[in-house]
Amino acid sequence: MNLLSIPVLLPLIAGVLILAISEKTRWLRELLAIGVTAVCFLAALNALAPALLGQHYQLTLPWLGGGMDFSLKADQLSAFLLLAVSFFSLLISFYAFSFQDKGKAKWFYFNLLLTQSFAAGAALADSLLALLFFWEGLLVFLYTFIVLSRDTAGARATAMKAFLINAVTDLCLLLGVAITAYLAGTMSMSEISAEKLTLNGWGGLAYVLLLIGALSKAGAFPFHTWIPDAATDSSAPFMAYIPAAIDKLLGIYFLARISIYLFQLNGAMQLVLMTIGAVTIIVAVMMAFVQQDYKRLLSYHAVSQTGYMILGIGTLNPIGIAGGLFHMINHASYKSCLFMTAGAVERQAGTGDLGKLGGLFRAMPVTAVCFMIAAAAISGIAPFNGFFSKELVYKGTLETGWTVFFIAAEVGSLLTLASFLKLGHSVFFDKRPDGLKEVSEAPFSMLMPMLVLAAVCVVFGFGAAIPVTYLIGPALDNLALFPEHALSGFHLDNLYLVSVIVILGAVMNHVYGYSSAKGRASKSSDHIHHAPVLGWIYGLAEKRFFDPYEQIMKRVPDFSAVLYKADRFFDWLIDGLPVAATGKLSDLSRRFHGGSYPAYMLLMGLAMTLFVLFTANSGGIK
Amino acid sequence: MDLVTIMKTAVFAPLLGAFLIPLAARISTPARNVLAVSLGLVTFIAAAALLPRALDGQVAAYTLAFPLGFDLTLSADMLAVFMAAVSSFTSAIILIYSVDYISHYENQTEYYTMVVLFLGSMMGLVFSMNLVWMYVFWELTGFASWRLVGFFRKDTDVQKANKTIMVTVFGALCMLAGILMIYFANGTMDLRHLRGETISTMAAVLIMAGILSKSATLPFSTWLPDAGVAPSTVTSLLHAAVLVKIGVYAYARIFGVTVVVSEGFYYGVLVIAGLSALISAGAAMIEKDIKRIIAYSTVSQIGFIFLGLAAGGKTAFVGGLLYILMHSVAKGGLFLCAGIIEQKTHTKDITKMGGLFRAMPVTAVSFALCSLSVMGIPPFGGFFSKFLVFRGAAETGSLFVLAVFLVGAVMTLLYLIRLFYMVFLGEEKQGAPREGSFSMVASVAFLALLGLALGAFVHYPANYAEILTSQIGAIE
Repeated sequence: MNLLSIPVLLPLIAGVLILAISEKTRWLRELLAIGVTAVCFLAALNALAPALLGQHYQLTLPWLGGGMDFSLKADQLSAFLLLAVSFFSLLISFYAFSFQDKGKAKWFYFNLLLTQSFAAGAALADSLLALLFFWEGLLVFLYTFIVLSRDTAGARATAMKAFLINAVTDLCLLLGVAITAYLAGTMSMSEISAEKLTLNGWGGLAYVLLLIGALSKAGAFPFHTWIPDAATDSSAPFMAYIPAAIDKLLGIYFLARISIYLFQLNGAMQLVLMTIGAVTIIVAVMMAFVQQDYKRLLSYHAVSQTGYMILGIGTLNPIGIAGGLFHMINHASYKSCLFMTAGAVERQAGTGDLGKLGGLFRAMPVTAVCFMIAAAAISGIAPFNGFFSKELVYKGTLETGWTVFFIAAEVGSLLTLASFLKLGHSVFFDKRPDGLKEVSEAPFSMLMPMLVLAAVCVVFGFGAAIPVTYLIGPALDNLALFPEHALSGFHLDNLYLVSVIVILGAVMNHVYGYSSAKGRASKSSDHIHHAPVLGWIYGLAEKRFFDPYEQIMKRVPDFSAVLYKADRFFDWLIDGLPVAATGKLSDLSRRFHGGSYPAYMLLMGLAMTLFVLFTANSGGIK
Repeated sequence: MDLVTIMKTAVFAPLLGAFLIPLAARISTPARNVLAVSLGLVTFIAAAALLPRALDGQVAAYTLAFPLGFDLTLSADMLAVFMAAVSSFTSAIILIYSVDYISHYENQTEYYTMVVLFLGSMMGLVFSMNLVWMYVFWELTGFASWRLVGFFRKDTDVQKANKTIMVTVFGALCMLAGILMIYFANGTMDLRHLRGETISTMAAVLIMAGILSKSATLPFSTWLPDAGVAPSTVTSLLHAAVLVKIGVYAYARIFGVTVVVSEGFYYGVLVIAGLSALISAGAAMIEKDIKRIIAYSTVSQIGFIFLGLAAGGKTAFVGGLLYILMHSVAKGGLFLCAGIIEQKTHTKDITKMGGLFRAMPVTAVSFALCSLSVMGIPPFGGFFSKFLVFRGAAETGSLFVLAVFLVGAVMTLLYLIRLFYMVFLGEEKQGAPREGSFSMVASVAFLALLGLALGAFVHYPANYAEILTSQIGAIE
């Protein structure tokens, strides 16, 4: 039994088993899920340790033939990702233990375990086909996860949206893999990396198609629009698990793989990637800033933060890529933590509406502290983990010489902090509404994972050397990148100054917004929300004018109608036309068969003459 | 039993057995049903028994001599056995499902006779190595399907049945002309002697007309949705499993592994297949009749099969063959689900349905699983076939073909999702119908799970298809 089959097969089997467990048994499902995810976590550690020493676990099985084998390989990057996937699965299954509003427990854990199994497979896959298999397989569980979390029409519509957006981009990925495999003559990523593909002609098309798949999974602009909807229509554990952690991890992982490992990119593509990153940062953070719902606000940040990772990897220099990968793991930890606090607040206070919350610090001190640590981390405040990864991304960006992206990233940081000031202020401080007097702290099973993640934010901050040495550095080796600078530790340079300015700017903005909203923290974004031009743009955005999904879905019926017309034309061609023609022909011939004796004689005479003429012409009867 | 006997059983048991069914009906209804189902099972078992032997490289051959090159030559090579196993399997499932389903209607004896006759002619068709006998069996299947589409005796039904036979016979006559052209040019109609021969594009186009009309591909596609007036089992049998695959099989047999035609011909097939996939998917998006939607979906998916078979290159050919298998299973399941829904809600109009998930959960889940397989989502079997044909499309190097099929695949997602949402989710529009009977629900659940199993154990069919392709040799 290969070690690598554990993180893939074990959750799969356990997930199916959970469906078979009787509804009446208490805790058995939860404990089984926690146990299985814990075992997978240990297996992932076991796979990482040798990988750091250059020993890779591998598993190859015959599959489709013709060079299309099923192969898994735990190299440094994959083992790192596997560890992250297992870690978050473990924490979420713990967190969901006493979280009721997550749909039926058996379905929740079924979806969680199956997602884990497929995500682990995608992380470990060395064959592009195996990667595609697991990656696209996640679709099914993404759908069932959302649709089974609430029994509402909204959940069904959002589930469909999530499914369709990802299914279409997965088709692009499929096509990309098909072309890549054809160009490279192999499906194995490690073999392709030995002789990287270039972006000429078909190679360029293949890369773009793969890129679409990766960006969509990571939830970047413009493929992100299902995430905020899912925040309203599904549960906090789901948000903490899939959009915050698993999807980001896989998307950015694959982005790094294709951009560094499989393809040799050029300057133009570098610019494209960095632009996508910067646009994602700004657009999503602008939307996040004005949200009035706890989870929805966080979900836009989940999109915005992806921008930093894409920007980092898009710089194509080792330091930026290190930043992108480091930010990926950091983001997963603080964003998961933030969604967990959202879940805790929703569970205890019964709402996630910022206007109805307030003053919960005393009631839920542990949650509040976890929130503050994670919020500081996401805003890039030293010495939490987000600061260090953002710093690397900034440095990488500056190194490319495109200062405009650096500025965009810093503006994004400012707005991020500003929106977390608003969020924290309106939930944990401000005045506590009368309805919330009885609120108490969340149960231990929910606090524990939050605390663990908050601890990660601290440890990966103060001790950034640990992840850099054991996770990021080896991953860079894996990608054959060797940075010139040290990747961890404090660097007292100008960036520090910029960071202080950003913090001050955000605080000033909040103070201004708070006072102009007459002391209601949840409204402290109104001065931007309703600013002259911005207000109009926000209005359009809220009508989903900028949502490609909604726009395309509106046009599908017309497009189909055109195709249907074509179909009707062909139907006429084989049905209507021949029938009409035959009818006309019969009519015509009936006219000559009117029963008139002279007419028959005339026709016979005519036919005879023709026959004689024809025979004579062709040489007579021999 | 030796190989030839097994092969003869697979062909002649249903072909001749069909005529015993009216006699059995004289004895009793159960006797007739038992005979029909067991003929289906015997055929399947015989075809399945040939699989491992074909894999070992044993080829059964049997010739019944006729003058003038009209020898009836049956040969069980890997391709023939593959098709025989797939189609007889689906037919057997359908016969089992029929026992309950058709018992509510008139003219049951005719139904069973025609279904089994159809199965027999299909077997004859796939094992025939002589083009003219292929043609004979081809027309026999057309005859059986004519009677089956016109199973209900209303005027519209009869009219649609006539459309079916008219269109397919027109195509078949074109094909006959093409076969004669080959005969005059090459002096033989035996496929084994035609290997590697180049035939004229004209002959190829004529034969292709027959193939397209039988496989309901543009421009002859619309008889298939119209044939949806037939009982669900028939639409399922005709559409999903067997009838439309006849054309595909003929393509694989004639153009895939036997003769060579000019480059332009293959490209033309790809373009027609792509447009067919796209246009029918658009039509499926507009239609409101559940069976017509699924029928259009079949037309669309046949395009993908042609893509695999015509792209040139081994991988794509393997993909096309796998597609035949995966699609038979999944689409058969969808049609049988539609049958349950139609019988229980007494309507085919999806705008009058809604919220059926609660009332018929097993059917709904089976429907969803089969849809996922048709969409080509892993871990279902359909994923692999879709990937392989797309890989073939990439190898053609034609951006147009690639783009058309990509849009076609996206449309596939859309119409299946729309169908699922309108039928099973949404508001309940009528009193809760009941779940179908056990044998019907069990059949669809079995097909749905089979789709999953084919994905998990794809290695075996893929291995078979790959050996087949290298052994018989796809024309590169």
